[in-house]
Amino acid sequence: MMKLSDITKVYGKGLLEVPVLHGIDLTIEDGEFVAIMGPSGSGKSTLMNIIGFLDYPSSGTYELNGEQIASAKESILAKLRNEHVGFVFQQFFMFPRDNAIKNVASPLVYAGVSKRERTARAQDLLIKVGLGDRMKHLPNQLSGGQKQRVAIARALVNNPTILLADEPTGALDSNTSEQIMKLFTQLNEEGKTVIIVTHEEEIAAYAKRIITIKDGRITDDRRVIT
Amino acid sequence: MNVWDSFKIALSSILNHKIRSILTMLGIIIGVAAVIIIVAIGQGTKKQMTDELFSTDKNAIDIYYEYIPPEDESEMFWEEPVLTSEDIQTLAAVPGVKAVIATNQGWGMMAHDDEQGEMQITGVGAEFFPARDIQVVEGRALYAADNDGLNRVVLIDTIAREKFFKETENPIGEIIDLNDNPYKIVGVYESPLPEQFRNTETGEMLMPRSVISMMFGNREIEQLSVIASDAENISETGRLAAETLTAEKALENGQYSTNDFEDYERELNTMISLLTLLIGSIAGISLLVGGIGVMNIMLVSVTERTREIGLRKAIGATRRKILLQFLIESITLTSLGGLIGIGLAAIGSILVSEFSPITATVSPIIVLIGVSFSALIGIIFGLLPANKASKLSPIEALRYE
Ligand SMILES: Nc1ncnc2c1ncn2[C@@H]1O[C@H](COP(=O)(O)OP(=O)(O)OP(=O)(O)O)[C@@H](O)[C@H]1O
Ligand SMILES: [Mg+2]
Repeated sequence: MMKLSDITKVYGKGLLEVPVLHGIDLTIEDGEFVAIMGPSGSGKSTLMNIIGFLDYPSSGTYELNGEQIASAKESILAKLRNEHVGFVFQQFFMFPRDNAIKNVASPLVYAGVSKRERTARAQDLLIKVGLGDRMKHLPNQLSGGQKQRVAIARALVNNPTILLADEPTGALDSNTSEQIMKLFTQLNEEGKTVIIVTHEEEIAAYAKRIITIKDGRITDDRRVIT
Repeated sequence: MNVWDSFKIALSSILNHKIRSILTMLGIIIGVAAVIIIVAIGQGTKKQMTDELFSTDKNAIDIYYEYIPPEDESEMFWEEPVLTSEDIQTLAAVPGVKAVIATNQGWGMMAHDDEQGEMQITGVGAEFFPARDIQVVEGRALYAADNDGLNRVVLIDTIAREKFFKETENPIGEIIDLNDNPYKIVGVYESPLPEQFRNTETGEMLMPRSVISMMFGNREIEQLSVIASDAENISETGRLAAETLTAEKALENGQYSTNDFEDYERELNTMISLLTLLIGSIAGISLLVGGIGVMNIMLVSVTERTREIGLRKAIGATRRKILLQFLIESITLTSLGGLIGIGLAAIGSILVSEFSPITATVSPIIVLIGVSFSALIGIIFGLLPANKASKLSPIEALRYE
């Protein structure tokens, strides 16, 4: 369970201060499927980064399974990033010189998993996301949708409890988007907490809870009854 | 993630930028190569200088008489005490003394058939041959009986043999003429002196010192030296022998002394440490410059790879692991440079040894020092860039354009 209380985020300093989040209160239970929506610049990515331990909030508290982590040490956040969350970025960041297997396996290097097991797990996941025939390809030899699926496989390789995706379908056509959303739904049914940021109603429709943010504040939070 | 994984990442990033890596390593390569080759030449020179200083025997020390004028009167004329075979036996009994060499010198005109030439003559005893390790190639060495019996026999060295005799001729038993007196050749020997000290014109000869004393009128023992059984204790053994001889002869206005090799060695060592200091500073400067080059390139590399660092952090790399990765990269870079430098130095010292009189040798210790020093440079100058990389915030690094 994640419990964010009165979280604020201010970028910059002094005259250049940009307040982005203004007191976010948010609780997400294990196994939820949440979509975060809102206009561009409203602070969705900023919030996602804080939820995913990539960034520190300026103030407020963040409780993860009962433990305070808002001001935890870097090394603890690094461990949480490595073991608890899988992050799918909008820009499909990859290691350009490593093939699909190595890219997917990369988090396992920092988890201290042996090379043989790293490769085996990466291959399994690439098959699961439908890239069994693209394992040895380099990122620049893959299409946008394929790269996004490699990124999802990488996010899953450490068997995280939380899957975070910031506009995972932003750069994809509707057909590919649908495939990826079906994959997320399946992962949620397998028990993972899934949180996605999206602009599109059709994408948000896959979620069971939709949170709307405007100007750094939560303006709407509703559960979808199915 | 272990060090081996970091090393592989480091190596692949070095290989991905081959030209840049080589240019970066150039400072280290030149620095290490220069230091090693200068040290190799320095050691070669030192060895050559030592060899010359202690030319014949490293464990032989000369004993000579020193006159000490009494305080009240200033005696202008003094005479050296006469040394005898008993004195030699006394010296031979001194602890640490392996052998005693007593010689005198003569000089003469040798003639045989139509050839003639000046000869340097050394008067020796039978003990001279084993003590100086004289190789008798034809005939025999001198016996004790030759000295006692005043036998007019000589040994000529291989140079004289070549000058006065044909290859096919047998010189043994031949009578030669020396200062118009006849002598019989009993042997031919290989001169033990280094080439630069030899009389290469006509050669040299050995004869019983009693015969020199009789024929030339000089003292039977003019030069005295002892050979120590342990080269390490040469100075001490020499001093002890000199003291024993002084006491034995009950000298009043004089004493026996030795030339102290330790003084020479001390001087030589001062010179060499000065040289080492100089080389050290040159090495330090060139490696400093090389190190700054490495730091510069590592900083560029960190900036270029900001996104990669961000991604590594996002997937769980800790600060320490990023720090380690970049440190290993700079250590690999400089150590590789060091290894290439050592390779160049090895080639260089082969060339120096080939084309100059100095034998330059690259010792394993220097290689070890070279590699560890270049690795150290990698650590020192890699620390700042690695630290910079490790402190990047993951999200800012990922956003870096
Ligand atoms: N490093 C930064 N320094 C200063 N301002 C920043 C920084 N990062 C983000 N911002 C500002 O914070 C605000 C929120 O940014 P954020 O990326 O969270 O928006 P978003 O809701 O994800 O928008 P989009 O839908 O376009 O991705 C924006 O106004 C942006 O300019
Ligand atoms: Mg965004």
